[in-house]
Amino acid sequence: MTFEPGERVRVLPSEKPGHVRTPAYLKGKAGWIESLIGAFPNPEEVAYGLSGLPERPLYKVGFKQTDLWDDYRGPAEDYLYADIYEHWLEPERGTT
Amino acid sequence: MGGEPGGPIDRSQHEVEDWERLADAINGALGAKGLQSTDELRRSIESLEDYRELSYYERWVAATEKLLIEKDFLSSDEIDERAAEIERRWDGP
Amino acid sequence: MSDHHSHEETRGIMSPYAARIRAIEALLLEKGVLTEPEVQDSISYMEARSPANGAKLVARAWVNPDFKALLLSDGKAAASELGMAPEHPAEFIVVENTPELHNLIVCTLCSCYPRAILGRPPDWYKSFEYRSRAVREPRAVMREFGFEPPEDVEVVVHDSTADVRYMVLPMRPPGTEDMKEEKLAGLVTRDSLVGVNVPRL
Repeated sequence: MTFEPGERVRVLPSEKPGHVRTPAYLKGKAGWIESLIGAFPNPEEVAYGLSGLPERPLYKVGFKQTDLWDDYRGPAEDYLYADIYEHWLEPERGTT
Repeated sequence: MGGEPGGPIDRSQHEVEDWERLADAINGALGAKGLQSTDELRRSIESLEDYRELSYYERWVAATEKLLIEKDFLSSDEIDERAAEIERRWDGP
Repeated sequence: MSDHHSHEETRGIMSPYAARIRAIEALLLEKGVLTEPEVQDSISYMEARSPANGAKLVARAWVNPDFKALLLSDGKAAASELGMAPEHPAEFIVVENTPELHNLIVCTLCSCYPRAILGRPPDWYKSFEYRSRAVREPRAVMREFGFEPPEDVEVVVHDSTADVRYMVLPMRPPGTEDMKEEKLAGLVTRDSLVGVNVPRL
């Protein structure tokens, strides 16, 4: 596993075309690895009839809402999780 | 989609129509047989030009049709023909 | 932009897609791509699933700590134990509300929902308004449903972006200490399983 729970990560700001399961609002945002959910065939490839193998690690990634939205109107303690594939993540201090 | 501005949420529930149940069923059956994956269906839905104009199940039917044609199970001509026949039957004599 | 509904009971304004899906069904059956029993099984599968399943899981978890632990660590195993046999290969994860934390589920990319347990999602869950606003202003969204968690409760949104389907395990309402499991299940609303509201006496 590349990432450990607690590790700080950033979602790649990639504008990759085609079917992706990384929402636009998370691209380029930094958060933390909550847990490894498991490994699954890559949906970006399965979407076009390919096997999607080898399976890719899928992480539950946490983000502070105040890091996602300039105008977040709730408490600073609120947060959000999304399930993101490993190939969409880099260490927060890393360079692409 | 996530984070885009949006108005109040319409909390009303429409009665699911028979054709919508059928849309669910066809997709479920195709999926269960390994003829179509959830990812393919999602990709097909996302590619619809009139995504924002269609209702939820209209998107499903349009996307399923697209996939079935793509995979050579059906042709768009035969679907057009059969759909027209069905509508004529519904309209009655 | 709201989800456009063009359906009516009267033939005059039926969606053109109604005839298309019937045409597709007829053609697939004729060509042997699908069989009648396969289509019928698929219809029955969905009809058998409803929020009552989720309510049963929650009520059991409320009265049985071992089951609760199972539900939170292996949702599919817990569902199987109650005979729900979720056939969908996707993961099923149940997240727990506590006095400190309230969970809200959304799928911004489409409408992922634990259909294998709960059946069809409600129209509002699939709407553009819910999908776009739930991640950005969850408290305002919940307020529209009549629920407002206190400021000192953390609101945690789960965007089901991949192969996991989520359900909320709400807190047991106060005043229900003497209630039997079946009656408890009756308190668990579909909305509380998504997290836009909570069960109340």
